[in-house]
Amino acid sequence: MEQEHEQETSEQQSTEKASAPAPSRSIWSGSITIGLVNVPVKLYSMIYDKGITFHFLHKTDGQPVKYVKMCTKEDKIIPWNEVVRGYEVAKNEYITFDKKELDAVKPESDKRIRISKFVDYFSVDPVYFDRTYALLPDKSKDAYSLLLKALERTNKAGAGRITLRTKEYPALLHTYKGALVLTTLRYAYDVVDPRDFEKLGKLEEPQKAELDLAVKIVSDLSGDFDITEFQDTYMQRIQKLVEEKLKGEKITVEKAPEVEAKGLMVALRETLKQLEQQK
Amino acid sequence: MLEEDLKEIEALTKVKLKNLDKCFYPDADVTKGQVIEYYIKMAPKILPVIANRPLVLTRYPDGIKDVKLGKTSFFEKNAPEGTPDWVKRHTIYSPTSKRDVHYIVCNDLDTLIWLANLAALEIHMPFATTEDVDRPDLLFFDVDPEPPATLSDAAGVALLLRDNLREMGMTPYVKTSGKKGLHVVIPIVPEYSFDVVRNFVHKVGIALAKQNDLVVSEFKDTKKPGKVFADYLQNSPMRTMVIPYSLRPTAEATVSTPLEWSEVKKGLNPSDYTLNSVPKRRVNPWKDIFENRCHLEI
Repeated sequence: MEQEHEQETSEQQSTEKASAPAPSRSIWSGSITIGLVNVPVKLYSMIYDKGITFHFLHKTDGQPVKYVKMCTKEDKIIPWNEVVRGYEVAKNEYITFDKKELDAVKPESDKRIRISKFVDYFSVDPVYFDRTYALLPDKSKDAYSLLLKALERTNKAGAGRITLRTKEYPALLHTYKGALVLTTLRYAYDVVDPRDFEKLGKLEEPQKAELDLAVKIVSDLSGDFDITEFQDTYMQRIQKLVEEKLKGEKITVEKAPEVEAKGLMVALRETLKQLEQQK
Repeated sequence: MLEEDLKEIEALTKVKLKNLDKCFYPDADVTKGQVIEYYIKMAPKILPVIANRPLVLTRYPDGIKDVKLGKTSFFEKNAPEGTPDWVKRHTIYSPTSKRDVHYIVCNDLDTLIWLANLAALEIHMPFATTEDVDRPDLLFFDVDPEPPATLSDAAGVALLLRDNLREMGMTPYVKTSGKKGLHVVIPIVPEYSFDVVRNFVHKVGIALAKQNDLVVSEFKDTKKPGKVFADYLQNSPMRTMVIPYSLRPTAEATVSTPLEWSEVKKGLNPSDYTLNSVPKRRVNPWKDIFENRCHLEI
């Protein structure tokens, strides 16, 4: 019986893996810099935001609704080229910026992950973790492998910074399942210190007997962490609903005349990337 | 999905794209959207060559139509009314029309998309930059075959011209005109006037005519059937050629396509280079053009 159960799970794993598919295209390339040493790497997205997404449709005819930018004073739709960015300096008072001004001060990506020191990986609390990226060796694998093994043996992580798109992030270079990965971190100003909640107040010391009992319960329920024990039951229920609804009525979106949009968008993205590389 | 695409396009370009589904090339079944997509795809190869040059446009607001229906295009030098502020302009006084002309200068992707959105199917560039519009930085030979001479014949003439120019220590580049001829262009240090450069080009043409019976070097002979004219007259202030990768108003949506010299040979066919086929070409034959400028030896 036991054996049969095991077989079933391994079979399930081979057909439907618990982890997300690896992306084929990197989103950044550069090098890890530690002092005078450079390790060329490519950065790949590692985090998906799956889950259920719904589209908004017009109830009466089932066609997609769209968002428009309205001027709140003139009460009319305005085009994108009439939009500027406003920084609120006081209630209802703004200083405006156009794209050029903001571009001039945006941090320049120098294509480096600059590691300034090595820290104990577990000394960084997950509250600071933002997003994790996989790093793969670019060109030479030797330096990459050396750095990976050194971090694995010492249980350390490199603390440093990286500029992605227009933002500079603090970042942690660490190992995960036999690869170097980079987790961008949040700045201190974005994370609340729970001691600032007045409601938390001063906590009383518990009685020793109560504490002993609580500790015993904790140790009795202790085990290894396994992410696959958690299932997105909301998503599963929605999927079941979708299957049921599919048997009944289905709304088809009429093809809008702007069928060209897809190819244009892809070309635009590709060209912008190429022009960026030409610079 | 569609709505998201449009939203993303809006975020990526300042240009408000219009009438994307309008048919521009009825025979080739090409829409305005595809024309804009084409220019976006070619931008990395186009922009370095046309940067800082006052441009002249041929606009086809309703696309390529049957010629019998009358004129469907117009030539435009002056930046049209409603040109957005962010589009760069360069003003040159025109002594013939006695007024300033505000030419468009295209140094970025948004401007190129804007031009395509204006239905400027054809874009033309002069042989000098805004730095000094009277001193050319490009020499231009228009190798133009008169039927029954063909592009194949023009190819033979262009190869001979290439050899002559190389012997003079120059680095010639070549493109199809997108119609029946070839354009040969040589990057030079902008130090002489158009008069000096034009004379030089003319002299090279005369020498070429002596070497090859097919070639004529004088304007009066251009219409002689079966001859190839090496046109030097375009080497003048604000005379232009179609930019590399410009579309042409032909039924097949042909493109003025930069070629490797190894591609210039018998059987060369302008119809092989179209809006659909050219973006798939991996080569970028004019990549180093401005790194190979030479001094004219006058």
